[in-house]
Amino acid sequence: MTWTEIGWVIIGLGAVSLLLFNFLFARRGRYVVRPQPAVRSFLKRRMHAFERGEINQVLLGSRLWSRAYPALGLHALSVASGLAGLEPGALEAQLIAVGTGELALFARQIYQGTYRDGYSSALNLALTGPTPYAFLAGFLAEMHLHPSGAVGLFGNFDQMGALIMEAVADQGGRPFAAAGSINAQAALFLTTRDLLIGEEIFFLPGLFDSSPGYQAAWISEDLLRVALLALLVIAAGLKMAGII
Amino acid sequence: MKRIIAMIVAVLAGLTLLAGYFFQTELAQLTGLLINWGILLVGLAGLIGIGYLIKTQIARVGHWQKGSFLSAIGLAAFLITVGLGFFLPLQDRFFRNWVLNIQIPVETSLLAILTVTLLLASLRIIRTRGWTLMTISFLISALISLILSLDYLQPATETPGAEWMELIHRLPLVGLRGILIGVALGGLIVGLRVLLLMERPYEDKQ
Repeated sequence: MTWTEIGWVIIGLGAVSLLLFNFLFARRGRYVVRPQPAVRSFLKRRMHAFERGEINQVLLGSRLWSRAYPALGLHALSVASGLAGLEPGALEAQLIAVGTGELALFARQIYQGTYRDGYSSALNLALTGPTPYAFLAGFLAEMHLHPSGAVGLFGNFDQMGALIMEAVADQGGRPFAAAGSINAQAALFLTTRDLLIGEEIFFLPGLFDSSPGYQAAWISEDLLRVALLALLVIAAGLKMAGII
Repeated sequence: MKRIIAMIVAVLAGLTLLAGYFFQTELAQLTGLLINWGILLVGLAGLIGIGYLIKTQIARVGHWQKGSFLSAIGLAAFLITVGLGFFLPLQDRFFRNWVLNIQIPVETSLLAILTVTLLLASLRIIRTRGWTLMTISFLISALISLILSLDYLQPATETPGAEWMELIHRLPLVGLRGILIGVALGGLIVGLRVLLLMERPYEDKQ
């Protein structure tokens, strides 16, 4: 079996499993994922910050697409959509920071679609800059202009994300991160208490919206991971035994 | 109608690019064309983004809001760089000096700050996260990695010591692969959700 064929099999299994479980969960049943206390406390802090008149900040990444992590930008937009849907009355109480023009357009589209008649063109959308350094510099300048509430870091970031979260904590903001490359996750582990790592990041949108599609995504991800791990362990065992 | 057209375009483009990954020679021209269109659209979105940025900064300076001084500096730097960029080629020595002699020192200093921040954060990780299996393992593995990177311990080749050293060097890679599998599968599912129209970031919510 070639690598291309293995790729087809994994993608095919993912697609079939998504469609099948979406169909099943639309009729009955649900899939429960591991509890995420960090997410619960992030949502609670967003609510408290809103009540206190502070600005909740949502950081959607320094870019939409990267070669190594192509889905992180889309995932960040999905999270933004979920968060917007949770708090439809709080448009002016949010600052959305994005690194590039296309992310800005998508974010604007999401908020415009969610708030519709209540949408104000004065949405606090900060376009910072397309590199991690530019994002850091641009966001820090914006952050000082608003009383920081809960700050969520999503999407494409590198280790500079850790510096952003450290600055947020210094300002009295309450950071939460579900973002980034491996480098970012390692650096964020040191600075951010409320942090999602690895596959946990991709559970996030489904925690805001428990529609069958997200439930199907959770179970598909879990099934594929278990299958891959089993294959790895079997292959390692066979190699140790000298069979392959 | 607008929704349906957007959905058809998204699915067709996504499926074609996916197929192009597997049939590289057969679909090279088509995928190349789609990617070029994508780059063009991203460039256009970038221009719109820059326009939005300029509008926001000008409004801030015009109304003399908090932070308007920084906005004025940012605007001036942007306009000068764009102006020079229009008249001078990218290879021009003055243009490169103008951009790089500001950008590189700023980025280097941010990197230095990051290094110090991470060092301090490592030292106070127990206070941040408490005594957990994760924090203790993190500290021990960080310490071992630092000691090994000094290259003082160099056992002779093909000895048990060398094999142990190889094993310890490989351990972080094992953890890295574990996390990467999770991230890759998550990314795959997000992509499939968009392709199967379960997720549509390009349209209004109903």
